[in-house]
Amino acid sequence: MNIESMNEKLQLLLEKYMPGRRAEVEADSSVGCGAVLCRDGKCVRLLPWRVERRFTELKAVTENGTLEGISTLRFAAMSAEVNLRDLLYRELDLCEFLGQSELHSAFAVVSGSGIANVLVKLADGKSASIECSAALPENTPAQDRHEIIARRGVASDRVVDTQVPQSSIYLFRKEGERCYTDVDSELYGLEYREIWIVRAAFAVIRLPVLAALWNRTDLLLRRKVDAVLNTAEVGRPVFFSEVLA
Amino acid sequence: MKPVKIAMVSLTHGHTRKYYQTLRDNEKLDWVASCAADRCAKEVYDLYHTGVPCYLSIEEMFEKHPDIEAVVLASTNDRHLEEMRECARRGVHILSMKIPTFDLCEYDEMIRLVDEAGIVCQIELELHYNPVVHRLKELIASGTVGRILSMQATNITLSPVWAFPWQGVPEASYGRRVPLREGDARFRGGALCDHPHIFDLIRHLTGSEFESVYSVVAPNLRPELEVEDMILCNGTMKNGVTFLFDPSWSRMEERLTVPAPGWEVFPKRMQVDVTIIGEEGTIVCDCFGPNVYHNGAPNDRYTVQYTYFDEWIGLVDEFVNCIRNGGTPEINLKWHRKTIECMNACYESIRTGLPVKVEETGSSEE
Repeated sequence: MNIESMNEKLQLLLEKYMPGRRAEVEADSSVGCGAVLCRDGKCVRLLPWRVERRFTELKAVTENGTLEGISTLRFAAMSAEVNLRDLLYRELDLCEFLGQSELHSAFAVVSGSGIANVLVKLADGKSASIECSAALPENTPAQDRHEIIARRGVASDRVVDTQVPQSSIYLFRKEGERCYTDVDSELYGLEYREIWIVRAAFAVIRLPVLAALWNRTDLLLRRKVDAVLNTAEVGRPVFFSEVLA
Repeated sequence: MKPVKIAMVSLTHGHTRKYYQTLRDNEKLDWVASCAADRCAKEVYDLYHTGVPCYLSIEEMFEKHPDIEAVVLASTNDRHLEEMRECARRGVHILSMKIPTFDLCEYDEMIRLVDEAGIVCQIELELHYNPVVHRLKELIASGTVGRILSMQATNITLSPVWAFPWQGVPEASYGRRVPLREGDARFRGGALCDHPHIFDLIRHLTGSEFESVYSVVAPNLRPELEVEDMILCNGTMKNGVTFLFDPSWSRMEERLTVPAPGWEVFPKRMQVDVTIIGEEGTIVCDCFGPNVYHNGAPNDRYTVQYTYFDEWIGLVDEFVNCIRNGGTPEINLKWHRKTIECMNACYESIRTGLPVKVEETGSSEE
């Protein structure tokens, strides 16, 4: 992540929409998205996937009647850069965000320090599977999939009959292939992951109530991640009402 | 090699259409007779105009065609033992559907019958003969990704229950009426029973057996079914490989009583996607892709038209070879028992809400 570039873009957004406001994102090595928002001497934990367009679109189809009777969420996340805890942190939050229900219980099987296969039950009965792997070889692009299966309709961020994310542009030259996926005109030039951190920071500045909500969610998510990974050690599912009581 | 004179029994299984084509087209087979489970199954069979005589009694079929060497048991799971007894008595080789039985006492009787009769009994797990799976096995065996750490796989399809209602009847599918768990109105016998393939595949790919499994069910996509249609499993193999499987009926279908084009509502009616994570790399593969696509008749709906689909060639090759040359199919009753044990353990996990050790119970040698 290039924090300097991200802050330049954040300032551009602030000058354009909220002149006079100042805030910065800072790199953060604790579990989460890798950055926090700093303003007025306080830090706000960011949940950038909650403003990431593909997830807000998926959320919209779960809420606007496009999908009816959601049964199961099928999530997968594989990365060469992001560690297992960070992957699981995001996917567990997405379970609640897209599943519209709190986590009820979970059981994980874990291989080494980088792979977890997790089954989750939500409080309203939905199931979720989370395939997490931080074991992709170096320089491999991140791979993920988020599918929501309902009595009426299936929604996904992956194309039917494909296995890997699609790009907007494919450039084929004798030097090799390059792909480009540009998704934000105002933040043009930032990497995909950077875009959503800046957008999340901007969302908190525009809607300050998010700060307390996300900080509270972050605290709970950290405990949930620990609890889920611990199930592989103890060989029993965790019931979150007991852990978080 | 002399073609094997073969018959098909019951005609109520989800793969009957594929067998009509295979038995007619494969030069290693001479399709001489069929036997329908009932008049309704015979009426559907007649729609296909195979030209092969169809009876309503297995005894009558065998009497009229004493030259039958082998049968495809395309029947409900609860009839397999009775039909295997008949085949074993007559020394007729068996191509069994994917679930011989979930009852391990029955299962062991099947093993004994086949052993004593000296017949071939091959379990129909067509994924075993899929070229993508062949490549996957080769890549793993050659060490491309190093030691396997984890496997994730889907075996997700539409539900065949509207065309093959027995797959939604607990007694016919699971063998008896067993509630999924206390407080749940559903019974064992749904999507899991339709999808043993990935449970078999992991054993081949890892060379290991199941250690433990955990399983959960979700609200049914088809609330009127008595059996589960959305189910997930994770677990561990004895060599430490972890897995996560989705064997659900998560692709919706038109409720056709006879399978036909336009059956699928979701564009891709069947998906077997496998991810293998090794110490030195990751493989993601789609066993049934890529394909061609259309949005034409009958529903003008975007549809994946399966394009490379030749599993039944290898399946028949092995079956005929074992009959003619006296071999044992790789997926035989004894091998397949451990797959069935794990599937039973999945149901047990749903009942208890806990991970379950997959232990060998009542082995045929005992």
